[in-house]
Amino acid sequence: MDKWKADDKPVKIDKWDGSAIKNALDDAAKKVMTDNFGFKEEHRLMDLRLLICTVAVGFSLFALVWDYIRPFPESRPILIICVLSYFMLMGVLTLYTTYMEQNIFLVAADKDKAGLEPDDKWELASTLKKYTHLYKLKMTFTNGKTGLCRSEEIERPVNNYFDEEGTLLFKLFEPEVRTLQGRIAAASKKE
Amino acid sequence: MFGLMEADFLDDVRRMNKRQLYYQVLNFGMIVSSALMIWKGLMVVTGSESPIVVVLSGSMEPAFHRGDLLFLTNHREEPIRVGEIVVFKVEGRDIPIVHRVLKVHEKEDGTVRFLTKGDNNSRKKDVVGRARGFVPYVGIVTILMNDYPKFKYAILACLGLFVLLHRE
Repeated sequence: MDKWKADDKPVKIDKWDGSAIKNALDDAAKKVMTDNFGFKEEHRLMDLRLLICTVAVGFSLFALVWDYIRPFPESRPILIICVLSYFMLMGVLTLYTTYMEQNIFLVAADKDKAGLEPDDKWELASTLKKYTHLYKLKMTFTNGKTGLCRSEEIERPVNNYFDEEGTLLFKLFEPEVRTLQGRIAAASKKE
Repeated sequence: MFGLMEADFLDDVRRMNKRQLYYQVLNFGMIVSSALMIWKGLMVVTGSESPIVVVLSGSMEPAFHRGDLLFLTNHREEPIRVGEIVVFKVEGRDIPIVHRVLKVHEKEDGTVRFLTKGDNNSRKKDVVGRARGFVPYVGIVTILMNDYPKFKYAILACLGLFVLLHRE
């Protein structure tokens, strides 16, 4: 199973595939936050999405099985419930991804050393619009004690961080995330 | 096995964590589910167990040709009358038959039998539905898929793999 992991292999992508570029940069930014700074990733945001999807697929599976056991005219009431629930959940999922998740791909906690005060939160969100080469990375810091938020964003052309073949140049991207984090940390200390 | 580990196209998948892998599977499940639920929804609305059928034989020409799509409804409150086109199943044949109703025998105990063109005496409970509309020739894809089953499975496998392996 350890062999299956590709963590040590340089990330190489198809450079004309926008979502692959975004995923590669997102992963790299995530890596800086969790590995270098030691923040602990929190999965609640994604877990809720997984839950919604699982329940939706569950409804359709149930409809399939029920319709097989009790052929059609008899299964009608259950089918109505399943179909309505499924499409309602799809609506909920759309609302959830557009309003709750937005483009956030990482929520990480900076654990309070003493464990007395609430953790500080770091959030990363990114966009890479179609037909542009500008990657926008937004970092938000929430102070656990005061609840104050501070966010900053950078916008960089993606070609800065990939070579001709489409290999991610992590060494060039890492400082960008570091300085962004440093700027926010310094500014929020002053407050 | 080692060769597979080195393959570049699997890198995307190999880099995923448990949650992302599970989401890939769910994503695939949702694509299949959406199609399934639309179909089941149509079943509920039309009352027919198979609301869309493809005409597979040329027996209804010139009204319908091979490959036409038929939309069916099967509401209990609207009895089937002479001259309407019905789709029904016959025991021992997997493919439903499309025929026009020539005579209707309604008995007092509520059983209904139909005489359709082609001399098939069919019972009410075999009827899948009556034709309400059609789209010409779209179903030819289905006929091709049925004639070349390997082609069908190849396409399905390719699409499935693409969805599973390609990240979002």
